[in-house]
Amino acid sequence: MLRGVLDLCLLAVLQEGPAYGYEMTKRLRERGLSSVGEGSIYPLLARLERDGLVETYRAASDGGPPRKYYRPSRAGQLALALGVSEWRAARDEVDAVLAQITIEVAS
Amino acid sequence: MNEFIEQCRAEWRRIGVAAGDVDELAGELAADLAAAAADGVSLEGFLGASAADPRSFAAAWAAERGLIPAPDGRAGGVRSGRATLIAFTAIAAVVFVAAALLLATGEPKVTLLTAGRLSPLAGGSSFTPPPSRVLTGAAAPIEWALLTFSALALAFCAWQWARRSHARRPGMAL
Repeated sequence: MLRGVLDLCLLAVLQEGPAYGYEMTKRLRERGLSSVGEGSIYPLLARLERDGLVETYRAASDGGPPRKYYRPSRAGQLALALGVSEWRAARDEVDAVLAQITIEVAS
Repeated sequence: MNEFIEQCRAEWRRIGVAAGDVDELAGELAADLAAAAADGVSLEGFLGASAADPRSFAAAWAAERGLIPAPDGRAGGVRSGRATLIAFTAIAAVVFVAAALLLATGEPKVTLLTAGRLSPLAGGSSFTPPPSRVLTGAAAPIEWALLTFSALALAFCAWQWARRSHARRPGMAL
């Protein structure tokens, strides 16, 4: 999956509310995006944090070790808004091209 | 799962991640793995292919967090520049002192002209230029030039040392 698009998806699920790493993968999988697993979420979150697009804090869990929660920063919310706009424009442009294609498969 | 975390810890330590950051990364991973286990999700189910390659997983995470120390090339450059400046200052000082001593003592004088006998003239006689044309005068232009240039070089060195001293002072981060 395109790297920037996955960043956008992470910001989107964080917009619903703060979440820790595993919880984010659950939210994404509930929406059918299972490819985000594979351990790639941690480097992505690290980059978002380094770029100032997410903020973090620690909170106690039920009986387990404290969890690190992520939430979008102000810059992250702005990046999400711009990214969604760009994604929709790109999707429409690609759809317009692909809509002309008819594929006939000889049997 | 604990074994996976320990392998990640070992990799983080190996690539130079600071101890405090190792604990932070391991703590976050442990908490998430515990949550996955509570949901009945295995390590492979949560991390996929990364579960079989903890070293790559750990290295990629630390790299994106900016926790892997960069090679100390800047420090090497600073040391090299300092050595060059020391050498340049020493040479300028030696030249300055030598030129000053030559001017103060008056001996020996350096000249652009070389004393000597010119080639024999026709008829077998030889010509020796007048002494005033061969020997240098009291003005000693080479010594003065050396003194001037070495003084300028020393001034440049002093400016460079002052800059370095100023740059080493810690600044206040806003």
